[in-house]
Amino acid sequence: MNSNKTIRIALTKGRLEKDTVNLFDKIGYDVSQLRDKGRKLILEIPGADIEVVLAKAADVITYVEHGVCDMGVVGKDTIDEYGGKFFEVCDLGFGRCRFALAVKAGTDFYEGYGVKTIATKYPNVTRRFFEAKGMDVDIVKIEGSVELAPLLSLSDGIVDIVETGTTLKENGLAVYEDVSPISARVIVNPVSMKLKKNDIETLLQKMESNL
Amino acid sequence: MKGYDLITPEGTRDLLFDECVARKREEDRLRYLFIMNGYSEVITPALEFYDVFNMKARSFRQESMYKLVDGKGRLMVMRPDSTMPIARIVATRLKDRNKPLKLFYSQNIYRCNPKLSGRDDEILQTGIEIIGGDEKRADLEALSLAAKVLCECGSTDTRLEIGDNTFYKYLLYALSLQDDEETVRAFIESKNTPELKNWIAEKTEKITDGNKRKYAELLLTLPKLFGGEEVFDTAEKLFSNTELADRLTELKETYNALCRLYDKNSITVDLGLVNKAEYYTGIIFRGYIEEYGQAVISGGRYDTLIGSFGAADTGAIGFAANVNAIAAATLQRANEPLSKSADVLVFAKDGYLTEGIRHCDNMTETGVIAEFCTCSDVESAIAYAKENGIQKLIVIDENTQTIEL
Repeated sequence: MNSNKTIRIALTKGRLEKDTVNLFDKIGYDVSQLRDKGRKLILEIPGADIEVVLAKAADVITYVEHGVCDMGVVGKDTIDEYGGKFFEVCDLGFGRCRFALAVKAGTDFYEGYGVKTIATKYPNVTRRFFEAKGMDVDIVKIEGSVELAPLLSLSDGIVDIVETGTTLKENGLAVYEDVSPISARVIVNPVSMKLKKNDIETLLQKMESNL
Repeated sequence: MKGYDLITPEGTRDLLFDECVARKREEDRLRYLFIMNGYSEVITPALEFYDVFNMKARSFRQESMYKLVDGKGRLMVMRPDSTMPIARIVATRLKDRNKPLKLFYSQNIYRCNPKLSGRDDEILQTGIEIIGGDEKRADLEALSLAAKVLCECGSTDTRLEIGDNTFYKYLLYALSLQDDEETVRAFIESKNTPELKNWIAEKTEKITDGNKRKYAELLLTLPKLFGGEEVFDTAEKLFSNTELADRLTELKETYNALCRLYDKNSITVDLGLVNKAEYYTGIIFRGYIEEYGQAVISGGRYDTLIGSFGAADTGAIGFAANVNAIAAATLQRANEPLSKSADVLVFAKDGYLTEGIRHCDNMTETGVIAEFCTCSDVESAIAYAKENGIQKLIVIDENTQTIEL
């Protein structure tokens, strides 16, 4: 694991990164390096013994699980899909959206006896959702715009992240049922949590009190 | 068709030279420690019937085990754990033996990890099991040995962390939430206080009973109750006047005893440790070293496992150390090669081969590592010695000649 005394925190690149940097700014950390990062992937917060790593969402989990990063900021969507052994200690409240089942507007998803086909980027979330209903569905993994699948009649519906629902609407789809809420979470490696308890708890408190 | 004859399966690896020396050295060290403390070694088969691991109280997910089919079509697994096979032995061949029994093992276990996660599927685990005996003494003995293992690791920052899932189980029962055990356990294990809070609030909003409200609050504090001695101060206030107060006092006694025996800063407590809750029935513990991102020691008390194999219920406690991880840390810290080259290379000229072998034998008897050279001439013997870091070459013909390199 990251055995020096600096705390290394992995941020999910993009919007969560921006929101977290703003939070660090509010705490009073010097975030100049984080704002003006160029192409660097490892950045420092001067004077705070914190090192920031920028990574793709699923990689944040991988780095924290292996302990090469002590902490991470990652969306609940990624946690739900990939899982893993880590502590999930804080809901940062930003990056809020939801997983939802969407179908062509006006159709009744549960109608009929046929096995339904669902297109999604999140096969594990989808499987669990329908398993809890005792429903057997075919899941097709799609990498890009999932909305296409029902339009092209590849699937009966999609399970995807929905924020405002605009994309769905513009493509003639509508939310049929909510699956689960999503927001940014702080995750911590279990060994780091024990070996660097004071430093990590202090940082967590600062983050929570500035939300 | 392209085959897979040049690679090893994912999650497994070949160990060469230093890696191998580190692995064996750490294993030997732990085996010696257990032998010196009066434990007897057992070896169980790498192949077991699936049924040994497939019961609710034995908590191994079927997708986490490597499975095979025997000649009669019965399902078998590569053992994912050594404790259950040992419980099987205790419930069968050792059922009439007087307890307590102190056993240890050092063998590979196999786990089918999610692919491309970078985890080992084949792990050398060295560990102990104390079957029967007085609970308080057995707990202290097991924990004390675990602390010794951590000391032996050579890491500068280690923690032995103790917990007890009696608290969690009691609160769950008192709140009649047994049906949701898995949900609650997952929240507590991942220290997910925000979601645990929402969940408990939802489940208990109709509860007006004062005692039950208190239990709900206690359940919510469990994930936060970890750290040093101060945890007991907080917990004593929280648990006073509940049936858990006595158990807390016992745990504190064990903790204090360990603090007297070992570096106090390396012993911690976490009342939110709830892993494998259906298997462990009391004290649970973990060991950490700073070089590795997961626990290197994992253990606990399992008083119902042996009974689940049809024998009389026998209390037991044990732990396993992940030797892969400990050896990897040793290797990471080592600043010089661990493997040793021969002290001398013995080259026998044609007609003197038996003398050469005899010369090697004589030297090895005195503790010198002497390697019989299988090269065909003196020049290649010199080159071989240089390449392998051997500093002395002995050439055997009618007069023995020593060349320092």
